[in-house]
Amino acid sequence: MRRIALPDEMPHNGLGDAAMARARSTENVVVGDEIVRERLSARVVHWAVAVTFFVCLFTGLPIWTPYLGFLATLFGGLHVCRLLHPWAGIAFAAASVLMFVQWVSQMRLTPADREFLTPRGLLRYFQYRNDDVEVGKYNGGQKLLFWAAALGAAGLLATGLVMWFPLAFGQRLREASYLLHDVAFSLFFAMIIGHIYLGTAAEPGTLRSMVRGTVTRSWAQLHHPRWYREVTSDQPKR
Amino acid sequence: MTADGLEIRQSSASVWGSSTELRNLKVVSKYIDTSTCIGCKACEVACQEWNDLHIVPTQQVGTYQTMPGLDANYWNLIEFRELEADGNFLWLLRKDGCMHCADPGCLKACPAPGAIVQYQNGIVDVNPEACIGCKMCETGCPFDVPRYSAKTDKMAKCTLCVDRVQVGLEPACVKSCPTGCLQFGDKTDMVALGNARVEQLKKNGFAQATLYDPPGVGGTTVITVLAHGDHPEWYGLPNDPQVPGAVRLWKNVLRPLGALAIAASFFSMVGHYLAFGPKTSKDGAAKSDGGAKKGDG
Repeated sequence: MRRIALPDEMPHNGLGDAAMARARSTENVVVGDEIVRERLSARVVHWAVAVTFFVCLFTGLPIWTPYLGFLATLFGGLHVCRLLHPWAGIAFAAASVLMFVQWVSQMRLTPADREFLTPRGLLRYFQYRNDDVEVGKYNGGQKLLFWAAALGAAGLLATGLVMWFPLAFGQRLREASYLLHDVAFSLFFAMIIGHIYLGTAAEPGTLRSMVRGTVTRSWAQLHHPRWYREVTSDQPKR
Repeated sequence: MTADGLEIRQSSASVWGSSTELRNLKVVSKYIDTSTCIGCKACEVACQEWNDLHIVPTQQVGTYQTMPGLDANYWNLIEFRELEADGNFLWLLRKDGCMHCADPGCLKACPAPGAIVQYQNGIVDVNPEACIGCKMCETGCPFDVPRYSAKTDKMAKCTLCVDRVQVGLEPACVKSCPTGCLQFGDKTDMVALGNARVEQLKKNGFAQATLYDPPGVGGTTVITVLAHGDHPEWYGLPNDPQVPGAVRLWKNVLRPLGALAIAASFFSMVGHYLAFGPKTSKDGAAKSDGGAKKGDG
Protein backbone atom coordinates (compact mmCIF):
# COMPACT_ATOMS: atom_id res chain seq x y z
CA MET A 1 0.00 0.00 0.00
CA ARG A 2 1.41 3.35 -1.00
CA ARG A 3 1.90 5.89 1.68
CA ILE A 4 0.40 9.31 0.99
CA ALA A 5 2.81 12.13 1.76
CA LEU A 6 1.76 14.63 4.37
CA PRO A 7 1.85 18.29 3.27
CA ASP A 8 5.06 19.00 5.14
CA GLU A 9 6.78 16.13 3.43
CA MET A 10 5.84 17.24 -0.03
CA PRO A 11 8.67 18.87 -1.92
CA HIS A 12 7.90 22.36 -3.11
CA ASN A 13 8.80 21.67 -6.66
CA GLY A 14 6.82 24.41 -8.32
CA LEU A 15 3.57 22.45 -8.43
CA GLY A 16 2.33 24.04 -5.23
CA ASP A 17 2.93 27.50 -3.88
CA ALA A 18 5.63 27.20 -1.26
CA ALA A 19 5.18 30.72 0.08
CA MET A 20 1.44 30.37 0.51
CA ALA A 21 1.89 26.99 2.11
CA ARG A 22 4.19 28.51 4.70
CA ALA A 23 1.81 31.44 5.15
CA ARG A 24 -0.91 29.14 6.40
CA SER A 25 0.56 28.99 9.85
CA THR A 26 3.75 31.01 9.93
CA GLU A 27 4.68 34.67 9.80
CA ASN A 28 7.91 36.63 9.38
CA VAL A 29 9.79 34.00 7.41
CA VAL A 30 11.52 34.34 4.07
CA VAL A 31 10.44 31.96 1.33
CA GLY A 32 12.43 32.49 -1.81
CA ASP A 33 11.89 36.06 -2.90
CA GLU A 34 8.88 36.51 -0.68
CA ILE A 35 8.39 37.13 3.01
CA VAL A 36 5.41 35.74 4.83
CA ARG A 37 3.70 38.70 6.52
CA GLU A 38 0.20 37.61 7.58
CA ARG A 39 -0.68 34.05 8.40
CA LEU A 40 -3.93 32.53 7.17
CA SER A 41 -5.82 33.08 10.44
CA ALA A 42 -4.84 36.75 10.48
CA ARG A 43 -6.05 37.19 6.91
CA VAL A 44 -9.32 35.39 7.58
CA VAL A 45 -10.00 37.60 10.60
CA HIS A 46 -9.12 40.73 8.63
CA TRP A 47 -11.50 39.85 5.81
CA ALA A 48 -14.21 38.84 8.26
CA VAL A 49 -14.00 42.34 9.74
CA ALA A 50 -13.94 43.86 6.26
CA VAL A 51 -16.94 41.92 4.92
CA THR A 52 -19.08 42.48 7.99
CA PHE A 53 -18.08 46.15 7.95
CA PHE A 54 -19.27 46.56 4.39
CA VAL A 55 -22.53 44.73 5.06
CA CYS A 56 -23.06 47.13 7.99
CA LEU A 57 -22.08 50.06 5.80
CA PHE A 58 -24.34 49.28 2.88
CA THR A 59 -27.31 48.36 5.06
CA GLY A 60 -26.71 51.43 7.22
CA LEU A 61 -26.18 54.05 4.52
CA PRO A 62 -29.77 53.95 3.19
CA ILE A 63 -31.03 54.36 6.75
CA TRP A 64 -28.50 57.14 7.32
CA THR A 65 -29.72 59.23 4.41
CA PRO A 66 -32.47 58.80 1.81
CA TYR A 67 -30.03 60.08 -0.81
CA LEU A 68 -28.39 56.65 -0.62
CA GLY A 69 -31.73 54.86 -0.45
CA PHE A 70 -30.93 53.08 -3.72
CA LEU A 71 -28.40 50.95 -1.83
CA ALA A 72 -31.29 49.30 -0.01
CA THR A 73 -32.18 47.67 -3.31
CA LEU A 74 -29.02 45.56 -3.02
CA PHE A 75 -30.54 43.79 -0.04
CA GLY A 76 -34.20 43.80 -1.01
CA GLY A 77 -35.38 47.05 0.49
CA LEU A 78 -35.08 49.24 3.53
CA HIS A 79 -36.94 46.76 5.71
CA VAL A 80 -34.31 44.12 5.00
CA CYS A 81 -31.54 46.61 5.75
CA ARG A 82 -33.15 47.43 9.07
CA LEU A 83 -33.36 43.71 9.85
CA LEU A 84 -29.83 42.85 8.69
CA HIS A 85 -27.95 45.85 10.03
CA PRO A 86 -27.96 45.03 13.75
CA TRP A 87 -27.05 41.39 13.18
CA ALA A 88 -24.29 42.37 10.77
CA GLY A 89 -23.19 44.78 13.48
CA ILE A 90 -22.96 41.97 16.00
CA ALA A 91 -20.90 39.95 13.52
CA PHE A 92 -18.69 42.98 12.87
CA ALA A 93 -18.16 43.50 16.60
CA ALA A 94 -17.34 39.81 17.10
CA ALA A 95 -14.86 39.83 14.21
CA SER A 96 -13.37 43.03 15.61
CA VAL A 97 -12.82 41.36 18.98
CA LEU A 98 -10.93 38.54 17.25
CA MET A 99 -8.89 41.08 15.33
CA PHE A 100 -8.10 42.98 18.50
CA VAL A 101 -6.94 39.86 20.33
CA GLN A 102 -4.88 38.76 17.37
CA TRP A 103 -2.93 41.98 16.83
CA VAL A 104 -2.99 43.85 20.12
CA SER A 105 0.42 42.59 21.27
CA GLN A 106 2.06 43.96 18.11
CA MET A 107 0.36 47.33 18.19
CA ARG A 108 2.06 49.04 21.13
CA LEU A 109 3.20 52.48 20.01
CA THR A 110 6.95 53.00 20.19
CA PRO A 111 8.59 56.45 20.44
CA ALA A 112 9.38 56.14 16.74
CA ASP A 113 5.67 55.52 16.03
CA ARG A 114 4.74 58.58 18.02
CA GLU A 115 7.16 60.60 15.95
CA PHE A 116 5.57 59.09 12.83
CA LEU A 117 2.14 60.24 14.01
CA THR A 118 3.07 63.89 14.48
CA PRO A 119 1.79 66.19 11.71
CA ARG A 120 5.37 66.49 10.49
CA GLY A 121 5.82 62.74 10.43
CA LEU A 122 2.55 62.14 8.60
CA LEU A 123 3.36 64.84 6.07
CA ARG A 124 6.71 63.20 5.38
CA TYR A 125 4.97 59.85 5.04
CA PHE A 126 2.37 61.09 2.59
CA GLN A 127 4.98 63.00 0.59
CA TYR A 128 7.09 59.85 0.36
CA ARG A 129 9.97 61.69 2.00
CA ASN A 130 10.33 59.28 4.89
CA ASP A 131 13.41 57.14 4.68
CA ASP A 132 12.84 56.07 8.26
CA VAL A 133 14.84 52.92 8.73
CA GLU A 134 13.20 52.27 12.09
CA VAL A 135 9.75 51.29 10.80
CA GLY A 136 8.97 47.81 12.09
CA LYS A 137 6.35 45.35 10.94
CA TYR A 138 3.60 47.93 11.43
CA ASN A 139 4.14 51.65 11.14
CA GLY A 140 2.63 54.27 13.41
CA GLY A 141 -0.27 54.87 11.05
CA GLN A 142 -1.20 51.20 10.94
CA LYS A 143 -1.09 51.02 14.71
CA LEU A 144 -3.27 54.11 14.99
CA LEU A 145 -5.72 52.51 12.57
CA PHE A 146 -5.78 49.42 14.75
CA TRP A 147 -6.60 51.37 17.91
CA ALA A 148 -9.08 53.63 16.14
CA ALA A 149 -10.83 50.60 14.63
CA ALA A 150 -11.04 48.95 18.05
CA LEU A 151 -12.41 52.11 19.65
CA GLY A 152 -14.77 52.68 16.75
CA ALA A 153 -16.10 49.12 16.83
CA ALA A 154 -16.68 49.37 20.59
CA GLY A 155 -18.47 52.70 20.19
CA LEU A 156 -20.57 51.51 17.26
CA LEU A 157 -21.54 48.37 19.18
CA ALA A 158 -22.50 50.22 22.36
CA THR A 159 -24.51 52.92 20.60
CA GLY A 160 -25.91 50.39 18.14
CA LEU A 161 -27.31 48.26 20.95
CA VAL A 162 -29.11 51.30 22.36
CA MET A 163 -30.50 52.05 18.89
CA TRP A 164 -31.56 48.42 18.47
CA PHE A 165 -33.50 48.38 21.73
CA PRO A 166 -34.23 52.07 22.29
CA LEU A 167 -37.22 51.53 24.54
CA ALA A 168 -35.02 49.88 27.15
CA PHE A 169 -33.07 53.12 27.57
CA GLY A 170 -33.81 56.70 28.54
CA GLN A 171 -34.37 59.58 26.15
CA ARG A 172 -30.98 61.24 26.76
CA LEU A 173 -29.04 58.00 26.21
CA ARG A 174 -30.99 57.32 23.02
CA GLU A 175 -30.27 60.81 21.69
CA ALA A 176 -26.58 60.48 22.54
CA SER A 177 -26.44 57.10 20.84
CA TYR A 178 -27.96 58.35 17.59
CA LEU A 179 -25.44 61.19 17.53
CA LEU A 180 -22.40 59.10 18.46
CA HIS A 181 -23.30 56.25 16.10
CA ASP A 182 -23.41 58.82 13.29
CA VAL A 183 -20.11 60.43 14.25
CA ALA A 184 -18.37 57.09 14.77
CA PHE A 185 -19.59 55.72 11.46
CA SER A 186 -18.62 58.84 9.50
CA LEU A 187 -15.10 58.89 10.91
CA PHE A 188 -14.74 55.12 10.60
CA PHE A 189 -15.76 55.16 6.95
CA ALA A 190 -13.50 58.13 6.19
CA MET A 191 -10.66 56.21 7.83
CA ILE A 192 -11.39 53.00 5.92
CA ILE A 193 -11.30 54.92 2.63
CA GLY A 194 -7.76 55.96 3.51
CA HIS A 195 -6.93 52.41 4.60
CA ILE A 196 -8.11 50.91 1.32
CA TYR A 197 -6.27 53.55 -0.72
CA LEU A 198 -2.98 53.05 1.10
CA GLY A 199 -3.35 49.28 0.93
CA THR A 200 -3.95 49.22 -2.81
CA ALA A 201 -3.28 52.14 -5.17
CA ALA A 202 -0.84 54.15 -3.08
CA GLU A 203 1.40 51.30 -2.05
CA PRO A 204 1.51 48.59 -4.68
CA GLY A 205 2.34 45.18 -3.33
CA THR A 206 0.54 45.74 -0.03
CA LEU A 207 -2.73 44.01 -0.89
CA ARG A 208 -0.98 40.68 -1.43
CA SER A 209 -0.01 40.66 2.23
CA MET A 210 -3.72 40.24 2.96
CA VAL A 211 -4.42 37.93 0.00
CA ARG A 212 -1.41 35.66 -0.41
CA GLY A 213 -0.13 36.54 3.01
CA THR A 214 3.24 37.38 1.55
CA VAL A 215 5.11 40.46 0.39
CA THR A 216 8.15 40.88 -1.78
CA ARG A 217 11.55 41.64 -0.34
CA SER A 218 11.67 45.00 -2.08
CA TRP A 219 8.29 45.91 -0.63
CA ALA A 220 9.44 45.02 2.86
CA GLN A 221 12.65 46.99 2.45
CA LEU A 222 10.77 50.01 1.21
CA HIS A 223 7.90 50.12 3.68
CA HIS A 224 9.12 48.26 6.76
CA PRO A 225 12.91 48.32 6.74
CA ARG A 226 13.44 47.36 10.37
CA TRP A 227 11.05 44.42 10.01
CA TYR A 228 12.90 43.41 6.86
CA ARG A 229 16.22 43.43 8.73
CA GLU A 230 14.75 41.43 11.59
CA VAL A 231 13.18 38.87 9.34
CA THR A 232 16.19 38.39 7.11
CA SER A 233 18.96 38.51 9.70
CA ASP A 234 18.16 35.68 12.06
CA GLN A 235 17.23 33.24 9.42
CA PRO A 236 19.19 31.12 7.00
CA LYS A 237 18.57 31.92 3.38
CA ARG A 238 16.33 29.45 1.62
CA MET B 1 -52.10 53.64 4.17
CA THR B 2 -51.88 57.28 3.40
CA ALA B 3 -55.03 59.12 2.51
CA ASP B 4 -55.67 59.67 -1.16
CA GLY B 5 -56.79 63.07 -2.23
CA LEU B 6 -55.07 64.93 0.59
CA GLU B 7 -52.14 67.08 -0.34
CA ILE B 8 -48.88 66.26 1.37
CA ARG B 9 -46.98 69.06 3.06
CA GLN B 10 -43.93 67.05 4.06
CA SER B 11 -42.92 63.44 4.25
CA SER B 12 -40.23 61.66 6.25
CA ALA B 13 -36.77 61.06 4.75
CA SER B 14 -37.68 62.74 1.50
CA VAL B 15 -34.90 63.64 -0.91
CA TRP B 16 -36.08 66.50 -3.06
CA GLY B 17 -38.98 67.67 -0.95
CA SER B 18 -42.28 65.93 -0.93
CA SER B 19 -44.84 68.69 -0.96
CA THR B 20 -47.75 68.10 -3.29
CA GLU B 21 -49.52 71.26 -2.20
CA LEU B 22 -51.27 72.62 -5.23
CA ARG B 23 -54.62 73.53 -3.79
CA ASN B 24 -54.94 75.60 -0.68
CA LEU B 25 -56.71 73.49 1.91
CA LYS B 26 -57.36 74.80 5.36
CA VAL B 27 -55.54 73.49 8.39
CA VAL B 28 -57.92 71.56 10.58
CA SER B 29 -57.85 71.28 14.33
CA LYS B 30 -59.19 69.19 17.15
CA TYR B 31 -60.19 71.23 20.17
CA ILE B 32 -60.01 69.62 23.60
CA ASP B 33 -61.45 71.41 26.63
CA THR B 34 -60.04 69.60 29.65
CA SER B 35 -62.27 71.66 31.92
CA THR B 36 -65.48 70.18 30.54
CA CYS B 37 -64.30 66.61 30.06
CA ILE B 38 -66.26 64.29 32.34
CA GLY B 39 -64.04 61.25 31.82
CA CYS B 40 -66.75 59.13 30.24
CA LYS B 41 -64.25 57.53 27.83
CA ALA B 42 -66.74 57.53 24.95
CA CYS B 43 -63.89 58.86 22.81
CA GLU B 44 -61.72 55.88 23.75
CA VAL B 45 -64.41 53.45 22.64
CA ALA B 46 -65.20 55.40 19.48
CA CYS B 47 -61.51 55.40 18.57
CA GLN B 48 -61.20 51.66 19.08
CA GLU B 49 -64.35 51.00 17.07
CA TRP B 50 -63.73 53.29 14.14
CA ASN B 51 -60.12 52.23 13.74
CA ASP B 52 -60.96 48.54 14.27
CA LEU B 53 -58.23 48.27 16.87
CA HIS B 54 -57.97 45.00 18.72
CA ILE B 55 -59.06 45.11 22.29
CA VAL B 56 -56.19 45.66 24.69
CA PRO B 57 -56.68 44.25 28.19
CA THR B 58 -57.30 47.10 30.58
CA GLN B 59 -55.06 47.56 33.59
CA GLN B 60 -56.01 48.87 36.98
CA VAL B 61 -53.64 51.70 37.79
CA GLY B 62 -55.39 52.97 40.91
CA THR B 63 -57.52 55.59 39.15
CA TYR B 64 -60.33 55.49 36.60
CA GLN B 65 -57.71 55.42 33.87
CA THR B 66 -58.08 52.52 31.43
CA MET B 67 -54.41 51.63 31.32
CA PRO B 68 -51.04 53.16 32.19
CA GLY B 69 -50.39 54.73 28.82
CA LEU B 70 -50.97 54.74 25.10
CA ASP B 71 -50.46 51.52 23.17
CA ALA B 72 -49.97 50.56 19.54
CA ASN B 73 -53.59 49.36 19.78
CA TYR B 74 -54.85 52.22 21.95
CA TRP B 75 -54.41 55.66 20.45
CA ASN B 76 -56.73 57.71 22.63
CA LEU B 77 -56.49 57.56 26.41
CA ILE B 78 -58.14 59.76 29.03
CA GLU B 79 -55.60 60.29 31.78
CA PHE B 80 -56.94 60.84 35.29
CA ARG B 81 -54.58 62.75 37.54
CA GLU B 82 -55.08 63.56 41.18
CA LEU B 83 -52.93 66.15 42.88
CA GLU B 84 -52.96 68.80 45.56
CA ALA B 85 -52.01 72.37 44.80
CA ASP B 86 -52.34 75.47 46.99
CA GLY B 87 -54.33 73.46 49.48
CA ASN B 88 -56.86 72.39 46.88
CA PHE B 89 -57.45 68.94 45.54
CA LEU B 90 -57.35 68.75 41.76
CA TRP B 91 -58.76 65.99 39.61
CA LEU B 92 -57.43 66.68 36.15
CA LEU B 93 -58.50 64.78 33.07
CA ARG B 94 -56.65 64.97 29.80
CA LYS B 95 -57.05 63.24 26.49
CA ASP B 96 -53.67 61.74 25.63
CA GLY B 97 -52.92 61.09 21.99
CA CYS B 98 -51.05 62.46 19.02
CA MET B 99 -50.89 66.27 19.01
CA HIS B 100 -50.23 66.41 15.23
CA CYS B 101 -47.46 69.00 15.54
CA ALA B 102 -46.88 71.52 12.78
CA ASP B 103 -43.18 70.65 13.16
CA PRO B 104 -43.38 66.92 13.92
CA GLY B 105 -40.36 65.46 15.71
CA CYS B 106 -41.39 61.94 14.72
CA LEU B 107 -41.28 62.86 11.05
CA LYS B 108 -37.97 64.62 11.51
CA ALA B 109 -36.37 61.57 13.15
CA CYS B 110 -37.87 58.99 10.77
CA PRO B 111 -35.35 57.46 8.32
CA ALA B 112 -37.90 55.61 6.16
CA PRO B 113 -39.07 57.58 3.13
CA GLY B 114 -42.78 58.28 3.34
CA ALA B 115 -43.37 56.36 6.56
CA ILE B 116 -44.62 59.48 8.31
CA VAL B 117 -46.42 62.14 6.31
CA GLN B 118 -47.93 65.47 7.18
CA TYR B 119 -50.89 66.48 5.09
CA GLN B 120 -51.50 70.04 4.16
CA ASN B 121 -54.43 70.08 6.56
CA GLY B 122 -52.03 69.49 9.45
CA ILE B 123 -52.72 65.82 10.12
CA VAL B 124 -49.59 63.73 10.76
CA ASP B 125 -50.15 60.19 9.56
CA VAL B 126 -48.23 56.93 9.49
CA ASN B 127 -47.83 54.82 6.39
CA PRO B 128 -47.32 51.33 7.83
CA GLU B 129 -46.10 49.89 4.54
CA ALA B 130 -43.10 52.20 4.59
CA CYS B 131 -42.44 52.01 8.34
CA ILE B 132 -39.37 49.89 9.13
CA GLY B 133 -40.00 49.64 12.86
CA CYS B 134 -36.77 51.37 13.91
CA LYS B 135 -38.50 53.32 16.71
CA MET B 136 -36.56 56.51 16.01
CA CYS B 137 -39.88 58.41 16.02
CA GLU B 138 -40.28 57.56 19.69
CA THR B 139 -37.10 59.52 20.40
CA GLY B 140 -38.17 62.36 18.11
CA CYS B 141 -41.61 62.88 19.67
CA PRO B 142 -41.68 65.42 22.52
CA PHE B 143 -45.08 64.10 23.66
CA ASP B 144 -44.13 60.40 23.91
CA VAL B 145 -46.94 59.36 21.58
CA PRO B 146 -45.72 56.88 18.92
CA ARG B 147 -45.99 53.27 20.01
CA TYR B 148 -44.14 50.34 18.51
CA SER B 149 -46.13 47.19 17.87
CA ALA B 150 -44.09 44.00 18.16
CA LYS B 151 -46.89 42.22 16.32
CA THR B 152 -46.57 44.29 13.16
CA ASP B 153 -42.99 45.53 13.72
CA LYS B 154 -44.31 48.99 12.96
CA MET B 155 -45.26 52.19 14.68
CA ALA B 156 -48.85 53.17 15.31
CA LYS B 157 -50.59 56.28 16.61
CA CYS B 158 -53.67 58.45 16.23
CA THR B 159 -54.36 59.42 12.61
CA LEU B 160 -56.86 62.09 13.60
CA CYS B 161 -59.26 59.82 11.68
CA VAL B 162 -57.82 61.11 8.44
CA ASP B 163 -60.01 58.64 6.58
CA ARG B 164 -63.07 60.38 8.03
CA VAL B 165 -61.70 63.91 7.75
CA GLN B 166 -60.90 63.60 4.05
CA VAL B 167 -64.56 62.84 3.31
CA GLY B 168 -65.80 65.70 5.43
CA LEU B 169 -66.52 63.90 8.69
CA GLU B 170 -65.20 64.76 12.11
CA PRO B 171 -62.88 62.32 13.96
CA ALA B 172 -64.62 59.45 15.76
CA CYS B 173 -63.64 60.75 19.20
CA VAL B 174 -65.20 64.14 18.48
CA LYS B 175 -68.32 62.50 17.07
CA SER B 176 -68.83 60.54 20.29
CA CYS B 177 -68.14 63.29 22.85
CA PRO B 178 -71.31 63.96 24.87
CA THR B 179 -70.24 67.23 26.52
CA GLY B 180 -68.88 69.07 23.54
CA CYS B 181 -65.46 69.29 25.13
CA LEU B 182 -64.17 67.86 21.83
CA GLN B 183 -64.74 69.95 18.73
CA PHE B 184 -63.38 69.75 15.22
CA GLY B 185 -63.05 72.30 12.45
CA ASP B 186 -60.74 74.82 10.82
CA LYS B 187 -57.87 75.74 13.07
CA THR B 188 -58.75 79.44 13.08
CA ASP B 189 -62.27 78.60 14.28
CA MET B 190 -61.00 76.19 16.94
CA VAL B 191 -58.46 78.73 18.22
CA ALA B 192 -61.24 81.33 18.46
CA LEU B 193 -63.38 78.82 20.35
CA GLY B 194 -60.47 78.04 22.66
CA ASN B 195 -59.68 81.68 23.34
CA ALA B 196 -63.33 82.36 24.16
CA ARG B 197 -63.39 79.44 26.58
CA VAL B 198 -60.14 80.63 28.17
CA GLU B 199 -61.68 84.07 28.77
CA GLN B 200 -64.69 82.38 30.33
CA LEU B 201 -62.43 80.32 32.62
CA LYS B 202 -60.49 83.41 33.64
CA LYS B 203 -63.72 85.10 34.64
CA ASN B 204 -64.64 82.02 36.63
CA GLY B 205 -61.51 82.21 38.77
CA PHE B 206 -58.95 80.33 36.71
CA ALA B 207 -56.69 83.29 36.09
CA GLN B 208 -53.95 81.14 34.56
CA ALA B 209 -56.17 79.39 32.01
CA THR B 210 -54.57 79.04 28.57
CA LEU B 211 -55.00 77.45 25.22
CA TYR B 212 -52.17 74.93 24.84
CA ASP B 213 -50.84 75.31 21.29
CA PRO B 214 -47.10 75.12 21.97
CA PRO B 215 -45.00 77.28 19.63
CA GLY B 216 -41.90 75.12 20.20
CA VAL B 217 -43.29 72.58 17.75
CA GLY B 218 -44.83 75.21 15.48
CA GLY B 219 -48.18 74.83 17.18
CA THR B 220 -50.24 71.68 17.28
CA THR B 221 -53.25 70.58 15.29
CA VAL B 222 -54.73 69.28 18.53
CA ILE B 223 -55.21 72.28 20.82
CA THR B 224 -56.09 71.95 24.49
CA VAL B 225 -57.78 74.31 26.94
CA LEU B 226 -56.08 74.06 30.32
CA ALA B 227 -57.64 75.70 33.36
CA HIS B 228 -54.24 75.61 35.10
CA GLY B 229 -52.37 76.82 32.06
CA ASP B 230 -49.30 77.82 34.03
CA HIS B 231 -48.78 74.16 34.92
CA PRO B 232 -49.23 71.99 31.83
CA GLU B 233 -47.10 69.37 33.59
CA TRP B 234 -50.02 68.82 35.99
CA TYR B 235 -51.83 67.41 32.99
CA GLY B 236 -48.83 65.40 31.83
CA LEU B 237 -47.99 67.88 29.08
CA PRO B 238 -44.49 69.25 28.60
CA ASN B 239 -44.04 72.92 29.46
CA ASP B 240 -42.23 73.88 26.31
CA PRO B 241 -42.17 70.93 23.92
CA GLN B 242 -39.54 71.06 21.21
CA VAL B 243 -38.28 68.66 18.61
CA PRO B 244 -35.28 67.34 20.60
CA GLY B 245 -32.19 69.41 19.90
CA ALA B 246 -30.27 66.17 19.46
CA VAL B 247 -32.56 65.14 16.58
CA ARG B 248 -32.02 68.50 14.85
CA LEU B 249 -28.26 68.31 15.46
CA TRP B 250 -28.22 64.76 14.13
CA LYS B 251 -30.21 65.40 10.96
CA ASN B 252 -29.23 69.00 10.16
CA VAL B 253 -25.60 69.19 11.27
CA LEU B 254 -23.93 65.83 11.92
CA ARG B 255 -25.27 64.11 8.83
CA PRO B 256 -23.96 66.72 6.36
CA LEU B 257 -20.71 67.02 8.33
CA GLY B 258 -20.28 63.24 8.22
CA ALA B 259 -20.92 63.21 4.48
CA LEU B 260 -18.35 65.98 4.16
CA ALA B 261 -15.77 64.00 6.15
CA ILE B 262 -16.32 60.92 3.98
CA ALA B 263 -16.14 62.92 0.77
CA ALA B 264 -13.07 64.81 2.01
CA SER B 265 -11.33 61.53 2.73
CA PHE B 266 -12.16 60.16 -0.69
CA PHE B 267 -11.16 63.24 -2.65
CA SER B 268 -7.97 63.83 -0.69
CA MET B 269 -6.93 60.28 -1.55
CA VAL B 270 -7.71 60.91 -5.22
CA GLY B 271 -5.75 64.15 -5.02
CA HIS B 272 -2.87 62.40 -3.32
CA TYR B 273 -2.70 59.78 -6.04
CA LEU B 274 -2.73 62.41 -8.75
CA ALA B 275 0.03 64.38 -7.02
CA PHE B 276 2.25 61.59 -5.74
CA GLY B 277 1.16 58.37 -7.43
CA PRO B 278 2.16 55.03 -6.01
CA LYS B 279 5.03 54.76 -3.58
CA THR B 280 7.85 52.79 -5.14
CA SER B 281 11.44 52.11 -4.21
CA LYS B 282 14.15 54.41 -5.43
CA ASP B 283 14.78 52.38 -8.55
CA GLY B 284 11.07 52.24 -9.23
CA ALA B 285 10.85 48.55 -8.56
CA ALA B 286 7.86 48.30 -6.31
CA LYS B 287 6.41 45.10 -7.58
CA SER B 288 9.34 43.29 -9.07
CA ASP B 289 11.64 41.39 -6.84
CA GLY B 290 14.68 42.40 -8.83
CA GLY B 291 15.64 45.25 -6.56
CA ALA B 292 15.37 43.18 -3.45
CA LYS B 293 18.45 41.11 -3.79
CA LYS B 294 20.96 43.84 -3.20
CA GLY B 295 19.67 44.50 0.31
CA ASP B 296 19.33 40.90 1.17
CA GLY B 297 20.61 40.22 4.63
